[in-house]
Amino acid sequence: MENPPAPSPRAPEAGSHPATVIPISRPRPTLWEIASLFAFIGMTSFGGGLTAYIRRLVVRQKGWLTDDEFLPGLGLVQLLPGANVVGLSVYIGNHLRGPIGAIVALSMIITAPFIMVCTLGFLYFHAGTTTDTKALLAGVTAAACGLMASMVFEAGQKAITGIWDIFLIGLTFVLVRGTPSFELYHHHVPSLPHLHVPYVIMIVAPLAIWCHRPRSNNNSHPQNKEVQS
Amino acid sequence: MIRTFAQLASLFSVLSLSAFGGGKVILPSMHQAAVGEYAWMNDQQFVDLFSISMAAPGPSMMVVSLVGLKACLPYGTAMAILGALIATVAMFLPSSLLVFVAGKWWDSWEDSPWRRSIQQAIMPISTGLILGATVIIAKTSIHTVPTAIMGLVALALMLFTKINPVLMMGVAGMISWFFLR
Repeated sequence: MENPPAPSPRAPEAGSHPATVIPISRPRPTLWEIASLFAFIGMTSFGGGLTAYIRRLVVRQKGWLTDDEFLPGLGLVQLLPGANVVGLSVYIGNHLRGPIGAIVALSMIITAPFIMVCTLGFLYFHAGTTTDTKALLAGVTAAACGLMASMVFEAGQKAITGIWDIFLIGLTFVLVRGTPSFELYHHHVPSLPHLHVPYVIMIVAPLAIWCHRPRSNNNSHPQNKEVQS
Repeated sequence: MIRTFAQLASLFSVLSLSAFGGGKVILPSMHQAAVGEYAWMNDQQFVDLFSISMAAPGPSMMVVSLVGLKACLPYGTAMAILGALIATVAMFLPSSLLVFVAGKWWDSWEDSPWRRSIQQAIMPISTGLILGATVIIAKTSIHTVPTAIMGLVALALMLFTKINPVLMMGVAGMISWFFLR
């Protein structure tokens, strides 16, 4: 009776080696499995803490990636612009199945939420002016405002490591919100316009990076040239 | 109509590459463009759409889809969906391509001390931008004593409990519907 070992799609480079050589055979998910997991994440992800949620699903439950593979991806997407969840889905999809995997993961994590918000959007614009929906939305927007304010506290807690950070937060806020004109010691100070976010970042980022430039531990002088290489 | 599509595409693809620290940081710019420069909607509608997107599942900043939807709503339902699609793709594609491209070089500079510097430098900027976004939302959503109380209770709940934010927004909506209608 023949019982051939199942071909391992995980390691095509193993070629002629017997299957037992592969130390840990991790499952290599199919595109379908990637699609269904990321559709699930898209439909069940709410609010914050999503990167921890994805890590639990992909690393702990499915075992598709190890922490050694997942955490560099997290570091990467935190550094790059864009929503972390979206970046992570691209990173994980690409890691598992190449560009096609990235496209599948990205589109699946967006599709269900997209249909959902568009449906809600149409409902809002067709029935948005009744007293019932107005009253309902008054509560939802107030709570959403509280949620945003809590994010300011959470981000601020991580951001503020010194007096400079408080200055940087204030500068960013003033640049993006603009200022009214006012009189200072009989001098007219003109109003500052709202600046768009890309310009704000271009102005504040060099300053912020300089404030947080690498410094060696036993020497207060920045050793930039040494570490830049 | 084509012009609106082009405006959506260019606005959100630029903002996509500016969203350092997550999608929320570009909210002030989105508000400024959608309410101010292009006049696609008023303040109340923007804040309502933002709250709807927060209460719905999915990545943060699905409000992008709703801005696209509203911008193209005057041209009919089908065009509104197309507008939402264009805005969404413009928002998520450029940053995703960047992840894809940058991932190839990531290993070589992952251990650089500058990585830590940039990461720490992003934090105060994104905090300031989220603060700006919060002020925009607050200006429109907090206008009476009951809404102020609800906002503060929501803030306290988010900071001191592990309550699900969507559950909280749903309950706030029901309370408000019961008392304010």
